[in-house]
Amino acid sequence: MPEIRVGYQEELQALEASGLGGLDLVSAALTRTLEAVEHQDIELAQIVVADDDRIDGRYLEVHQALITLLATQSPVATDLRLISALLHVLKNIERMGDQCVNICKVVPMTGHEPPADQEMVKLILTMGTHAKALISQARRAFEERNIEMAEDLVQRDDVVDELNRDCFRLALAIGDNADQREWAMTMLLTARAIERIGDNAVDIGEQVAFVVTGLFREFEDASHPDAQA
Amino acid sequence: MEGRKLRNMFGPQARSQAEEGRNTMSQAGPVTETSNQAGEAALARRAKTIETKEVNLYYGAFQAVEGVSMTIEPNKVTALIGSSGCGKTTFLRSLNRMHELTPGATVKGDIELDGEDIYGAAVDPVAVRRLIGMVFQQPNPFPTMSIYDNVAAGLHFNSGKISKSEKDAIVEKSLRGAHLWDEVKDRLDRPGSSLSGGQQQRLCIARATAVSPEVLLMDEPCSALDPVATLAIEDLIGELKKEYTIAIVTHNMQQAARASDNTAFFNLEESGKPGRLIEIGPTQEIFTKPKQQATEDYVSGRFG
Repeated sequence: MPEIRVGYQEELQALEASGLGGLDLVSAALTRTLEAVEHQDIELAQIVVADDDRIDGRYLEVHQALITLLATQSPVATDLRLISALLHVLKNIERMGDQCVNICKVVPMTGHEPPADQEMVKLILTMGTHAKALISQARRAFEERNIEMAEDLVQRDDVVDELNRDCFRLALAIGDNADQREWAMTMLLTARAIERIGDNAVDIGEQVAFVVTGLFREFEDASHPDAQA
Repeated sequence: MEGRKLRNMFGPQARSQAEEGRNTMSQAGPVTETSNQAGEAALARRAKTIETKEVNLYYGAFQAVEGVSMTIEPNKVTALIGSSGCGKTTFLRSLNRMHELTPGATVKGDIELDGEDIYGAAVDPVAVRRLIGMVFQQPNPFPTMSIYDNVAAGLHFNSGKISKSEKDAIVEKSLRGAHLWDEVKDRLDRPGSSLSGGQQQRLCIARATAVSPEVLLMDEPCSALDPVATLAIEDLIGELKKEYTIAIVTHNMQQAARASDNTAFFNLEESGKPGRLIEIGPTQEIFTKPKQQATEDYVSGRFG
């Protein structure tokens, strides 16, 4: 029998590519964000904040197109699961973009020559590198519908979580200098934002599992940490 | 209906009316019992289960349906979907012994209503069709009969045993059950053909339910109706399942998705081959995560 509804299938594929392309935008934003943090580059931080409109724009554009497909094409089965997952993933992408903005808004608060602790900066940059790897792994797992790769995000995110705790310990031990304590506080906000980016990447992995199996389950349940599978 | 043996329902009481092959659901047996009051609050009563085992259906030498084993659960709507020629209507017609009315048509395999073989030697097919009613694609009220007489048509075969007031009550109950009473109560003597298409179909449903069947079979009951009338029938189907077991053939997949509890997908490998049951399951599963690729392709509209 001939294949039908080709236009609809192509449109759905294009929307998936466009939606997941939002992860590239986030990855680029995170790269700049880390650079702004490393070099205390206030201008670059402002660019990231302004550029977040592109991520939001992608979110709105793909979201609207998916709603139109729902309204006009009555998608079911795999198509329906894919659309549902993409709507979730778009939200994750939008959130990750906002976390970059959160970090960049903190950059000017510490002044031009802050009393930076290099060990802590290094921790933050390492966290950021891991988070970027999580983003690209989440993207690949989604594209390939690869549950194993999606589940592996949890272990990789544990590394980010551990680095976050290291930052906390370092901040506690930073000493009595008020300026340095204030600086350390902003770094904790930064670490926290990167940690959230990792969590969003894991959420995308959960959507991969949903697309493939039709069952939604949390890979990690923060409120019941002992009940993990 | 516990304790009421089908043999009793199929056998002695049933009259051997000539089989005319259409509108047979109106050839009524006695209406001696109305519905039991089942305990479940949501259910008006527990209807009966149809179970088929390895059903093969033939038109002469041509095999139209092969090896269908499925359960049509009581008080649920089971939708039969599949492309044209996949055997779903043929299968539906075998469930109340209408398939055999086509010259040369034969049935192999078992079809049971609550465990009783409806093709048993002692079973009167007319009685089967009273218990298992059919609603057709084109609304087919008797054109010269009044609205009232259309609904009472099945009862007429038994008119000696039923009083006018009893008949009035059954007609009203059936028309109410079909969501038609308020629209026609002031013109019950008008011909059935004076109604709109959607009303006519509801009239046919009232006619089918007037004889207290266990099962209602519906063959594309909405395909000749406009969208509003279609939705009205779908709502009605949702009400009717509280009292009856319902199987519905539909080409409209969204109708199956909206109106049914279980969905059975029929397909055939290629033209000339018999249709087979590919998959049956809860409707929600069939439309979100079907097990078979062929089902996925069909419900997603990827193949014609």
